[in-house]
Amino acid sequence: MAAFEYRQAEEIRDALDARGVRYLFIGKSGAILLGFPDTTQDADLFVDREDANCRKLVAALREVGFELTDDQAAEIERGKDFVQLRNGPFDLDLVFAPDGIERFSDAWQRRVEVEGFPVCHPDDIIASKAAANRVKDRESLPRLRSFRQYWMKKQKER
Amino acid sequence: MISEPEIPRDWLDDFEAAARRPLPLRFRYAFIHTYKPVLDDASFRSFEKMQDYRRWCDENLPDWLGYGRV
Repeated sequence: MAAFEYRQAEEIRDALDARGVRYLFIGKSGAILLGFPDTTQDADLFVDREDANCRKLVAALREVGFELTDDQAAEIERGKDFVQLRNGPFDLDLVFAPDGIERFSDAWQRRVEVEGFPVCHPDDIIASKAAANRVKDRESLPRLRSFRQYWMKKQKER
Repeated sequence: MISEPEIPRDWLDDFEAAARRPLPLRFRYAFIHTYKPVLDDASFRSFEKMQDYRRWCDENLPDWLGYGRV
């Protein structure tokens, strides 16, 4: 498996957009899109678990090369809380109920667009990492909080 | 008014440098791939609830991967 490339990000963005899928980049991949300088291995998408949205998501994933069996597609269409995909051109985690975020619609309202990529607001990325409270989150949160401070200042200056 | 903590100088330098890079270049620097034992050994996993996923991570992944809860 190769690393997630910008070209692939464009491909999945375009496939999701073409079907009108409601989703947001979240986690460290979302922070990186916002400008956070760090490394990660996979992309994390927070997806609206509404039925039709999940069906469109499955179609888009198949289009970009994820090899989903019918059973696997059905699990995604059900909107299970967390799905980890390692059967496509890059590693992808689908999160339908991230810790620390009450509703998709709340995060959607606060979203940030970065060159056409819909991204969770830094406050939501931080909230989900703080709530997950994993060792790796605990390590990255101080720097991420400083980045949020920097990012907010830059937004005000625009 | 609560004042925000000062951003450490080296972090600020990193943020400024990243802001000057175009997004494709940020991608190239940010997304890397190394094998993660257990986690990468299945092509598909799904969990009904986030707490099921967190529990699975706690019980199955090596501690050094950092997926365990504090």
